[in-house]
Amino acid sequence: MPWNRPWLLVVLLTLILAMSWWHWRPAGGEARQVRLLMGTTVEIVAFGDNQRRLEQAIDAAMDEMARLERLLGNGYPESDPDRINASDSAVTVAAETAAVLDLGLEIAQLSNGAFDLGLGRLKTLWGMEGPAPRVPDAGAVEAALAGVGPTALQLDGPQVTRRAAVAIDLGGIAKGEIVDHAVALLRRHGIEQAAVNAGGDMYLLGRHRDRPWRIGIQHPRQPGEVAATLHLADRAVVTSGDYERFFEQDGVRYHHLFDPRSGYPADACQSVTVVAESAVLADALATALFVLGVEDGLALLAHFPGSDALMIDAAGRQHLSAGMAAWLEQP
Amino acid sequence: MTSSAAEPAGLPAARRRTFLALFTALAIVVHTFETLLPTPLPWLRLGLANALALVVLFLYGPGAAWSLTLSRIVLGALLLGRLFTPGFWLALAGGCLATLVMTGLHRFGRGRFGPVGISVAGAVSHACGQTLAAWALLVRHDALWRVLPLFLLFAIATGLLTGWVAALLLERLKRHPALADT
Amino acid sequence: MTSLWACMTGADRLLTLALTLFALAGAGWLLSAPPGERILVDDGVQIVYQGGFDRVAELSFHGPMGTSRLAIAADGVRVIEAPCPQKLCMGMGPARRSGDLIACLPNRLLVRIVGAQPAEAVHDLISR
Repeated sequence: MPWNRPWLLVVLLTLILAMSWWHWRPAGGEARQVRLLMGTTVEIVAFGDNQRRLEQAIDAAMDEMARLERLLGNGYPESDPDRINASDSAVTVAAETAAVLDLGLEIAQLSNGAFDLGLGRLKTLWGMEGPAPRVPDAGAVEAALAGVGPTALQLDGPQVTRRAAVAIDLGGIAKGEIVDHAVALLRRHGIEQAAVNAGGDMYLLGRHRDRPWRIGIQHPRQPGEVAATLHLADRAVVTSGDYERFFEQDGVRYHHLFDPRSGYPADACQSVTVVAESAVLADALATALFVLGVEDGLALLAHFPGSDALMIDAAGRQHLSAGMAAWLEQP
Repeated sequence: MTSSAAEPAGLPAARRRTFLALFTALAIVVHTFETLLPTPLPWLRLGLANALALVVLFLYGPGAAWSLTLSRIVLGALLLGRLFTPGFWLALAGGCLATLVMTGLHRFGRGRFGPVGISVAGAVSHACGQTLAAWALLVRHDALWRVLPLFLLFAIATGLLTGWVAALLLERLKRHPALADT
Repeated sequence: MTSLWACMTGADRLLTLALTLFALAGAGWLLSAPPGERILVDDGVQIVYQGGFDRVAELSFHGPMGTSRLAIAADGVRVIEAPCPQKLCMGMGPARRSGDLIACLPNRLLVRIVGAQPAEAVHDLISR
């Protein structure tokens, strides 16, 4: 073979280079971890080439979520909601808490009280989180709603003042905020592709390797079936459904999503899925839209450009916001 | 083995060593080049380097085949910078099992098996060894066993091809004066 | 150039035929098994069970807190007995779709549904 001809050598070298590139493309490692936080399973999956960095980032994000759970959750001795509920005067809260309250109060106002941060006493009354939930009598429900409304809490910088009768509960919004903080931490660690999934409330960072994340939405009436499939990247998705936590008494089903205006479970929807740019917004909007029902819910959504919803009404019909179709997998 | 009286006593051994080194070098080149070739699945290889192991097995016996395969795997991995990576252990497990089966068939088959049959058996053992190592080291996923039969069919096809190449090579080499006495 | 067929001895041909039949039989047997989602049960260290939804079964797993029991049926796998005080895993309902996850972390039990092959997973995660 005429090895002394330069062009032959050049062709051969180019061929070898091309094949080397094909072979040593980033293969893409994967790390995942599951922890029990916020009363649910939290799973983080991350993709990248540096396995050690992936694992460190996930560890850090999980630790951050555990810290925020003790800050934002009810039932922890030094948590901000419990400190606010224990004090009659203004309480100085952490910046994270102030941010959650700020958004929560805005949605409470825009939804005319269909979303509320002051349902602590109502939730305790129904006992949904405990072992023996029960239907309280009407008088007790009315008493638990005393003072509840969009103006029950006043936020002034980091200072929170509470109307005396009201107990604060961040259940409908804190999980989203905590997911967002975990995502921010993953980003700071240089992670570009990950999913943070807190019991079905999640944020999808980047894409799933080379395609968007494929997210199934639980069918509200058929366990194990999905109602729709979403293709998402760099978005949060949160679903509020009446099937998640419920009990039956005298043949009636009572679930955990209360209408602050009546004190009883909201019955306009079976489930609401919100896609938004942050998990805290998706979390709060999913709760608010579930209570508001289709018409008022979609009207509230219009205040938040970039957010979309798939609402399944009480009859099982699906309603989409204007931009939602773009996320849905076309059958 | 016959050697003419005129040759120094050590010459056949030296010749054998030299040719073994040449075959090993050639095997490493073929193996490296094959590793660079795009394949639809990782670990799917033509296994042409095995043709040289077969030639050496038939010319110089099992010991030579073992030394060629082991140096090919270790030096090849060194060359590609994957010594002690999972891929290296897969290659080692596949190579060892294949060589074990091939030398066994050659030695205890009482001459009934030619290079093609031994090559097919070697390729199949190679695939099995790799899959076992992958199961132990990398993925404990059912999917691995689901692809094994296809993997085996592919191995049989490449084994036939490699064996054929080895048979043709042996045919030529045995007529060559430098190897005529072995 | 000698043809491949001529290069093969009788024993070579027999061996190749036997191996091909064996591989084909294996392929046929595996392809006849029902594809679809599979259940993986993980105790935090390794996979302790894997199987499909093609049989109804109840399984017991021993963890640091005691025995957890799983029920597998066509409509999904669920935790029917858990030794932990909160019993969150029992409230998580059945898991059926690839991407679904049930965990009882106090008892170190992780139930995951995966596609038949990783690339085939229908959904990466389920929002609920």
